[in-house]
This record gives sequence, structure tokens and C-alpha cells, in this order.
Amino acid sequence: MALQLKQLDRDRLEGRLGKAQRFAMETIVAAARIDEADALIDISFAHIDACFYNGRAHLDFVNYMLAHGATLAVPSWTNNGLVSLNDLSLRDPLASREMDEARQLMQAYVRLGCNPVWTCAPYQLPDRPALGDHIVGSESNAVSFYNSVIGARTNKYGDFLDVCAAITGRVPFSKLHRDEYRAAQLLIDVSAIPTRIRDDDLFYHLLGHAIGRISGDLVPAIVGLPANCDEDDLKALSAAGSSSGSVPLFHAVGITPEAATLDMAFQGKPVRQSIELSVGDLQRARDELGRNTDQVLAGVALGTPHFSLTEFARLVALLDGRSIHPDLICYLTTSRHVYRQAQQRGWIEALQNAGVKIITDTCTYFSPAINGLRGKIMTNSAKWAYYAPGMLPVEAVIGSLRECVESAVGGEVVLDQWSPT
Amino acid sequence: MTGQGFSFSSWILIPGQADGMALTLDDTLSFWGGFDPADGEIIDVHHPQFGERVGGRILCVPRSRGSAGTPGGIAETLRNGSGPAAFVLGERDVNIGVGTLVANRLYNLEVPVVAVAPLELAQIRSGDRITIDRQGRISVSREAV
Repeated sequence: MALQLKQLDRDRLEGRLGKAQRFAMETIVAAARIDEADALIDISFAHIDACFYNGRAHLDFVNYMLAHGATLAVPSWTNNGLVSLNDLSLRDPLASREMDEARQLMQAYVRLGCNPVWTCAPYQLPDRPALGDHIVGSESNAVSFYNSVIGARTNKYGDFLDVCAAITGRVPFSKLHRDEYRAAQLLIDVSAIPTRIRDDDLFYHLLGHAIGRISGDLVPAIVGLPANCDEDDLKALSAAGSSSGSVPLFHAVGITPEAATLDMAFQGKPVRQSIELSVGDLQRARDELGRNTDQVLAGVALGTPHFSLTEFARLVALLDGRSIHPDLICYLTTSRHVYRQAQQRGWIEALQNAGVKIITDTCTYFSPAINGLRGKIMTNSAKWAYYAPGMLPVEAVIGSLRECVESAVGGEVVLDQWSPT
Repeated sequence: MTGQGFSFSSWILIPGQADGMALTLDDTLSFWGGFDPADGEIIDVHHPQFGERVGGRILCVPRSRGSAGTPGGIAETLRNGSGPAAFVLGERDVNIGVGTLVANRLYNLEVPVVAVAPLELAQIRSGDRITIDRQGRISVSREAV
């Protein structure tokens, strides 16, 4: 069926609203034709990834839009940048042209009218989208969190298409925007895993990693998650599942909004495929994310995706007044918004005094900081452990937040739970 | 020396015409993280075509993978001249389409993106001479070995 356009869409496409609207609409229409969509729909929000620098083309694109008077049709929040606008020491000064352009790119998106939140966890901020809202998500963990945990509807929008959608307020009515694509297709049962393991924060990282590996293109529904699992746990699941695999939507039966019951998650269709996960599957995930070698522990990386206020509270309690071992570097990444909230509680000062280096606007796994991370690094994040060894001269060891804290204080890896032997 | 030739039609995702030598990838590729747009090189150490350069080739790949950064990586490699002459895909891939469309518009290029059935994609081998016309007709010629 041919793509149906409204008069306003055609006005944009035919250039009656200027060159920026025309370019943006041409891109939306091209995407709709590739997706074989028969209509466009309005969106209410966009999370913009194109502010993340990967070459001059990114800058040329936004400069074209700015030069031709582009404005944004919907509230649009920025993802992490390649650099921190707050801390210029974070990147290698030898690559200064690239760093200058990365900063210029971030500033260009502020001029375009974006809300400069610079975070990969925008769902931790107030005024987030609601159940059933059609939105544009781009960063993979946020796409998964919006779809799964909030029940907002988004496909995974890549660079440029996110901005074109924000400029026009329109996206193709395809895939995860449509009811029928949101039904679960695969049942994943974790209820055989002992409760003490399911109650550990590391469980969600390892489960996400395992689900990313086994789900393929299918929408999984998970049964057996503890009823008290919180948004930090579901953030971990979202991030891990979209690192090892591509899981833009999952359901957690009894927990997430489109899965009050198993039947609801499957939209009344029969369960054709189900997998029961065991402790062995989690062990395997843990091993895949990095084995603990004989190398000396060089650092600890927390906050991928960005640390939440509740994670700050847990970290402060776990540190309990102790300091990071002087031979280690400990990085923590968060958003400016959560940073201010933590600051008001006195936690930023306390953590900095304890030796934690806190960074906003960006992430440590792609940021080769001066005096940065090299060697064996411990992290509480499956996403960090999955990506960092490909981007930095590091090897990763994953542990719970508690294990990371004890390791950071003690100066060597402490794995005190159901660690691989 | 005799050779063989065959042709098939395709779905046009981004129109254009191109000719060149095929580079076929045996796996999907992330153009952010797995690919260096500065010189068009595949840098994903797990990829079967690790170390290959895509410049000027007709890049035959099932689809892109992963990151939202793929369109940016494609636009940048096309901008600086290290990118492929065309894409032949096994799937209707929005990210590759959008990255190419943006580069074509910004830099006045005509890099086509077409999609074929996976079984057709599998008939193309690295080194084949490929021509793509504006109607989406793909002509493949192969020298006898």
C-alpha cells in the first residue's frame, strides 16, 4: 500500500516550509518507504543520538539544518556526547581537532533547541514519556527501557533520522509503534534460579546478556523476576540485552506495563517457544563478560548507563565512609540532573573525597581519558564489560555493586558470591 | 578467457547508479564501533572480513547491526571518499538507507542502496564486476577461473 501523507507532510516535502523541513521530510519519507509503512504518525518526544560525534558529516548535517532555519517540533533531549562539556580533561589532547568538532557538534544541538541533558538514561529525569506515547528513542538501552519499562512506543532510530523526526514531529507508522509487533514471541523462565541470586543486582546484568544472546529478533517475555525489582534492575536488563543482542522490547510478566499477565504479554496468542534459564546460563554470561585474570586491578568503572539517584544512595551506603584504594582509579558516570540531586544530598562531595571521579555528559567506555582506564577494570555493568575491551586498552571483570565497592576499597578483585571458579 | 554473467532486479531503497567490484561480507556489520569511517576499514576483530577496506567497492552485506551510530559512520565514510560505490543488502535496512541519503544530499553524491533476497545476495562473490542502474537492475559478471 502506498504511503499516505497529510497536506502538512506534502508542504514540507515540496519545500513550502523551507529547505530544512524539506530535507527532514525527505528523510522521513525515505525511511517510511524502506520500512514499507503506509502512514506517518505524530510523536511527542525525541531522544537525540546524532549529537554524538563520529566525523565531520555529523557537523555538516546539523549545520545545514541550522543554516536553513530548522526548529524542533517536539521536546528533544540529548544523549551522551563523545566528550564532556563539563570536563575538558577527559579526552586525548593529541586528537584536538576531533575533540573541538565533538564539542561544536554538541553546542550545535543546543542551538537547534535541544534540552541539553546529555544522558543515556533520560528516563531517570522528570517529565518522561508515558504508556502508549509514540516517541523517538535512539540509544539502545533507552529504546529498550522506553518500550519495555514505560510502555512508550519507539523503534530504534539511528543518527539523522532521530533529528529529522524531531524537526517534523513525524515518524513512519511501523514495527514497534504498532500493537501487533509488541506481542511476546518467546517465554524465558528464570524461576528455577535460586532467590538469593535473583535478589543480587548483578543478576539483571547477566540475565540481560543471556537474553540478548538467545532472543534473536523475537520479543521475549520473562517470568520469575522478583516482584521487588526496581528501575535500576530493569535499566541493567535493558542495557545488557541491547549490547549482547538487539532487544528493543521485552516484557517482564507481572512487572512491566504491557505484561500484567502472561496472556497479556503474548496478546492472547499461544506460547510457541519457551526457555528455562539456569545458574549455568548466568555463569556462562559472567564468563563471556570477562574472566578474572592474574593481572593487577587497575580501576573500577560505574554508571553505564548513567548512575541513578538510588544507585548513588546504595554506593554511599556500601562505601560507608571508606576511601578508594590509592592505587586504583574509580570512575562514575551520571547525568547532570542526577549529579545535582546527589550534590544537594552531600553525596558528590563525600564520594569525591573518598576518591571517586565523577563525570557527566559522556561515558567512560568510549572515552580514552588522560590518565584514563587501562589494564584490568572492574565494572558493575554488562554493557561496559561488553564494549570497553573493544575500545580501550582494558580487560573487564564484572561484579555486583557491592563486589565493585569492596574491590575498589581493597585494591584487588573481591568476588564473594557465586563467582566463576 | 570466457566468463559468466547474470542479473536480477532489486528493491530500490536509495536510487542511483554505480559500477565496481563486489566486496561481500559474510556477517552483519556495525558502522559505529566495527568500522573506521576515516579510511573505510572494517575494524571489528570478530568480523570475518576484519581488515578489509570498502572504498569504491559494491558493498554486499546482509544488513547493518546494533548502534544508532551506523548512519553517521556511513555518511562520514561517503563524505571523505573512503566509502563504497553502492550497497547491495539482503534486507530493507533503514539505517544504511538514511546514512546514504544524507551523504548523497549533503555532498551531491549518487550512491545507490538496493536490497535483494538473501538467496540472491549469496550468489554474489567478492571480485565480481557489478553494475547497478537507476531501475535497480543488478548485472553481475564474473571472469572464469
